[in-house]
Amino acid sequence: MKKLLISKKTKGILGAIAFPIVFIAFWQLFILAGFPSARFLPSPYKVLQKFVILFSDPTYSHNIAVSLQRVMIGFFIGTLAGFIFGLLMGLSKTAEKIFAPFFHAVRQVPMIGWIPLIIMLFGMNELPRVLIISVAAFYPITLNTFSGVRNVPREYLELASVYGYKGLTLIRKIIIPAALPSIATGISLGLAMSWSVLMVAEIFIQTAFGIGTQIQRGRDRFDIALVIAGIITVGVLGYSMTLLVQKIVKAVERGQVISADK
Amino acid sequence: MSNNKGTLEIRNLSKSFIVDNSPLQILNNINLTVTSGSFVSIVGSSGCGKTTLLRIILGLENHYDGEALMDGKQIVGPGTNRGIVFQDHRLLPWLTVGENVAFGLDKLNRKEKKLLVDEHLQLVGLIGFESVYPSQLSGGMAQRVAIARALANKPEMLLLDEPLGALDALTRMYMQKELERLWQLEKITMIMVTHDIEEAIYLSDKVVIMSSRPGIIKQIIDVSSSRPRDRASSEFMQIKAEILEEFHLGTEYTFAYAI
Repeated sequence: MKKLLISKKTKGILGAIAFPIVFIAFWQLFILAGFPSARFLPSPYKVLQKFVILFSDPTYSHNIAVSLQRVMIGFFIGTLAGFIFGLLMGLSKTAEKIFAPFFHAVRQVPMIGWIPLIIMLFGMNELPRVLIISVAAFYPITLNTFSGVRNVPREYLELASVYGYKGLTLIRKIIIPAALPSIATGISLGLAMSWSVLMVAEIFIQTAFGIGTQIQRGRDRFDIALVIAGIITVGVLGYSMTLLVQKIVKAVERGQVISADK
Repeated sequence: MSNNKGTLEIRNLSKSFIVDNSPLQILNNINLTVTSGSFVSIVGSSGCGKTTLLRIILGLENHYDGEALMDGKQIVGPGTNRGIVFQDHRLLPWLTVGENVAFGLDKLNRKEKKLLVDEHLQLVGLIGFESVYPSQLSGGMAQRVAIARALANKPEMLLLDEPLGALDALTRMYMQKELERLWQLEKITMIMVTHDIEEAIYLSDKVVIMSSRPGIIKQIIDVSSSRPRDRASSEFMQIKAEILEEFHLGTEYTFAYAI
């Protein structure tokens, strides 16, 4: 039997770029067909040219850096608060009874619904932008930490009580490690949420720098190529971050359950 | 142990659970004496309260009537003088084998911990497996780690809740020999709950037979045959028949005369 000389990894990469190539081809065809509705749509080549300009423009990298920093700060605050709040509600039925209804009601309000209030209260500042991002991360991390803590197997708790583990030691040695896979899922969802509200934060609460700002600026100048370049940047960066977090989550889970076939 | 530790005295013990707002009696007037260094098995069908009895001895069930005395003191909660091996090995998946064995040794320093972990892994024949994770072990190995964890605390009494119930038949027989070896080596009291009558006869000085609803002790059978015991010996078979009779599972010898 002949062996294909393409490695699994190469196959994976080819598979991943096949669709974007087809997509770009259709995009180009669409423009060549000359539909009236496509008259403002720049060609893929024009967007590529825009990227070439952007890569040599220090504002572009600065926009990316500012956005990443903004997400990281907001995400960090949201993670910390969500972890503590989720742990508290998971550990104490009383805390759950007091806070859960309020929490679930508040979380029904989409982030964009808060914007007018937040702008009126805080003005167009960095604080409300970071606040929005942290709240977005806060919800999934709270929920997943809570359910992780609640679902610690009874058997482990029993074992801990046989060995006299109580209070903080119990939390540190049993509850948090047992809840870790669920917490990790919450963190990766939280990061995705932070990243997706970044645009809301940057476009609605105007700011000098950020990828959202770049997109908004493109709109103001009717520079559609700049807008599309901004969207692609958001997608690629967000996807890279998701991949990174997934790697971390997998590493955490591997620490939990090492697959037997390894 | 030569110091006569590890004795158990249960007097007029009864236990009820509240089910749908009415009490359901699980154990009724249990009386049992376990001497230091003996091996006692509790057998009975599902729901006879044998696991509840073991949980009371372990200290996980604190509300009961009557007395449960460990070395003369009323049992009010878990303690380091009693170790436990559950049916599921209950090793923590995020800890290595070594860390699992050291789970009950939190108060010791690293050096003391390592010494005890090595000693007990050696004891169960798993030296060299310290840094392996539980999911990489077979069922029998995992259960041996669980035994090492229970013994590392140097308990005076080891409680075994169907410890071999989840293992295949051959591993199970091998582990029965292992348990006997450990019991003879450590010279501590062992109380085992099991479904397996042969296992109980093979290992025990005393087989406690319970029946259900509410759980009572029906009969206590002394097994005094010399060790290691031969499962095929007539003495072994006779004790087995006697126990099966208690469960109304004795053979009616109809076919024996049919020839």
